[in-house]
Amino acid sequence: MTAISLTVNGAAHELDVPPRMLLSDLLRDELGLTGTKIGCAMGACGACTVLVDDEPVRSCLMFAVQAHRRSVRTVEDLASPDGDLHPLQTALREHHGLQCGYCTPGMLMTITPLLESGQPLEPDAVREAIAGNLCRCTGYETIVDAVVEASRR
Amino acid sequence: MTDWQTQAEGRWSGKRVQRLEDPGMLTGATRYVTDVQMPRMLELAFVRSHAPNARIVSIDLDPARAVAGVRAVLGPADVVDIQPTVDILHLDGALKTPRFTLPGDRVRYVGEPVAAVLADDRYTAEDGADAVVVELEPLDDAKPIHDDIPNDRYFHQAASHGDVDAAFGRAHHVVRRRLHVQRVITSPLETCGIVADYDAATGELTCYLSTQQPHLARAALAEAVGLPVSHVRVICPAMGGGFGGKEVMLPEYLCAAVAAIRLRRPVRWVEDRSEALTAGAHGKEAEAELEAAFGEDGRILAMRSRFVSDTGAYSSGIGAYVEFMVGAFTVPGLYDLGGYAYDTGGVVTHKAPLSPFRGVGMTTSQTLREVLLDDAARSLGIDRMELRRRNMVADGAWRTVLGEEYEPGSWRTAFERALELIDYEGFLARQAAAREQGARPPRLLGIGVSPFVEAAGIGSAGGAGGLPGGSHDNATVAIDLSGRITVALPTFSHGQGHRTTAAQLVADMFGVAPDDVRVIDGDTARTPFGMGTFGSRSGVFIAGTVNRAGRLVRDKLLRVGEILLEAAHEDLELVDGAVGVRGVPSRRIPLAAVAGAAHFAPHVRAELGDPTLTATAFFDPPRPTHSNGTVAATVEVDPDTGGVAIERIVVVEDCGTMVNPMIVDGQIRGGVAQGVGLSLLERYVYDESGQPQTTTLAEYLLPRATDVPPVEIEHIETPSENGTGGIKGMAEGPASATPAALVCAVFDAIAPHGSAIEELPLRPETIAAALT
Repeated sequence: MTAISLTVNGAAHELDVPPRMLLSDLLRDELGLTGTKIGCAMGACGACTVLVDDEPVRSCLMFAVQAHRRSVRTVEDLASPDGDLHPLQTALREHHGLQCGYCTPGMLMTITPLLESGQPLEPDAVREAIAGNLCRCTGYETIVDAVVEASRR
Repeated sequence: MTDWQTQAEGRWSGKRVQRLEDPGMLTGATRYVTDVQMPRMLELAFVRSHAPNARIVSIDLDPARAVAGVRAVLGPADVVDIQPTVDILHLDGALKTPRFTLPGDRVRYVGEPVAAVLADDRYTAEDGADAVVVELEPLDDAKPIHDDIPNDRYFHQAASHGDVDAAFGRAHHVVRRRLHVQRVITSPLETCGIVADYDAATGELTCYLSTQQPHLARAALAEAVGLPVSHVRVICPAMGGGFGGKEVMLPEYLCAAVAAIRLRRPVRWVEDRSEALTAGAHGKEAEAELEAAFGEDGRILAMRSRFVSDTGAYSSGIGAYVEFMVGAFTVPGLYDLGGYAYDTGGVVTHKAPLSPFRGVGMTTSQTLREVLLDDAARSLGIDRMELRRRNMVADGAWRTVLGEEYEPGSWRTAFERALELIDYEGFLARQAAAREQGARPPRLLGIGVSPFVEAAGIGSAGGAGGLPGGSHDNATVAIDLSGRITVALPTFSHGQGHRTTAAQLVADMFGVAPDDVRVIDGDTARTPFGMGTFGSRSGVFIAGTVNRAGRLVRDKLLRVGEILLEAAHEDLELVDGAVGVRGVPSRRIPLAAVAGAAHFAPHVRAELGDPTLTATAFFDPPRPTHSNGTVAATVEVDPDTGGVAIERIVVVEDCGTMVNPMIVDGQIRGGVAQGVGLSLLERYVYDESGQPQTTTLAEYLLPRATDVPPVEIEHIETPSENGTGGIKGMAEGPASATPAALVCAVFDAIAPHGSAIEELPLRPETIAAALT
């Protein structure tokens, strides 16, 4: 076991973890943050995307020990504590940008840094940005529409 | 029987109501099976066959038992009590392929489970699985895959309707087409999974299961592990996609259930992506041929088809039957055929078992037929759309050559509207100009058009041509003492927004808002029996059952209103969460007070006799609904690389009365995306020795955001005569019609230069090779 300290959604944690434990499993199984989904466990689908020091990272490709002294943000941190949805979450709902919901947390965490840059986004740029996040339900168009609109709000 | 009363006012039905499901999914709060955790829960990992066809010489489980943290290991001898599973269809002459949970004698495909290891965590369970030593001895490929099926063909059926041979005899022109539809993977983002938990005190087994059919899964689990159905509960907290691939009782589930019972500890197995690709829900693979006899005027005199489904090692669940039977039965489509003969069946092979996948059978028949019509038009010198016009049935009801009764649809109207929207004539002019320019390299532009009809909501009377697998459902509607309405459904939504749709319907029946309606699905202990979600059936069955149950409860509420308000039944209405005198807002009683009076006011209770404000109603539609539409696509093919760029996709869809057009559009867009994958990208590959070659998402190409274009959608609403409230089932039509549109478009683009391609997907290298 290896001792690590990290911040997750603003809360500090001190943990002993097996060296081979993936960050995705730490978040889900040890911290109970099951909003982060595992779709392929090899970095191909994007469902497990979280922010590590504000950058999108595939949590299935990163060991928990690599998150030592770093700051992790997951889907659970997007809505406000009183339950108000993040503008991106609202836009996805309004545009029907989710069906089964399984890819949605990874989509949200991939797009959040783009939105927080404050620049209006064009549809083609959004398509490129989410090309590493698989969705089997929606055909992507409504996700793209939602992100474009959220970027202009 | 289709009276919705207040729904006629359409306050919620027909609107783009935002989904009740979304907030939980968007915040990460929604729980899927993989998110279920229990104290003392063990994780399960499987040892799988690495050979496609071999005798099991020995399995040494002891090395796994020696791994620290491994709590138990199951081999074939440990699960002999589990009943083998067989497919659930009962057809004359069909041979069964019994599937043992962990077969001890031989393995039949790469990825077949042979042992199971249980440990404190998945990492350790996989360590244990790696330690198991399995000795396999390759078997001669001449040996039948199942001893009772000497030639590997487990089912075959042929029939002829009309005088087909005579029609071919007098034909002016005969056109033939062969098509191999590839093996694809259903690939929901959430893989399969189970958490099994056994209560030794009550003898009840609870399984959290990612299944489209909670009640059928419950029955299958009970039968296999030898428990009464009453002692098995299936819960699906939420499901991350299914598409037909979550309808089969897997041996992995049975292992988890038996382990939980034996060990008295909860057991979780979540399929990883590699397992899903190697041994999970494969779909579609079929070899198909079609020939058509044409008169001099381009009229189709008759067609003959042949379908063979490559079923894999076992026919399980509803298996490949829905592929090769639906394929054969849907060849007529929207065309007036004088005669039709089919020859269809399935063979077992050393591949993973085939599962249903969205657009079963229809995708193959639709693609084959539309490609053949384009071929015929080219060889007859008739415009491709004109040939369709000469053969397409008129809008309205239609009886096919197979005797299937289509309810009225907008067949021709949808087709012509799609041609307008895609600007067929304008495109032809642009295409001709590009061809005439003689550019080097040439610009290869193509257009494809695919008119479809989709039968859905099939009752116990069955579907086209006598396909078994019809169904029926119940639903429960209840008012509690707070005046809120609860609806319990045996269907299970896995992305289709059933809770929202049902809440819209019920809100209009009871004069409340959708937010006031609690919809429960995915739990056999809290929902009445029904068949689950498949075959675009849920809209039809939810509407049918909820309408019937809702009216029983509504009538009782109105009866209480009569007593309390001393008003006649016909003067009462349900509005704004109350029973009131129509048009007199001051004389209203909130539903909570109505429910309270029914239970606690002695005179009301005495008059009612039975104050229960709950009703469960049954629905079994006598005939299916028929939605229809047309998919049109334009593409440009790169003459050097063979790459296909999709310019536009237009869908005109008619699914009758829409409850939530936003959700309908979502089903269309998602279906088109899967059609893009099937046409251009996805293929599961076995090499000649039976070894899978596409075992990760790096090799198996699912459509990405940059692969799927925007979809231009327009609706026509021809209300259903067979479905309650005018609703027609939909969700598979656009998925199954999109490949035909894209394949026809690509073939049109390369027609002046290329030779015939007979295999999907249309990969760049396939197209480039055809162009040389």
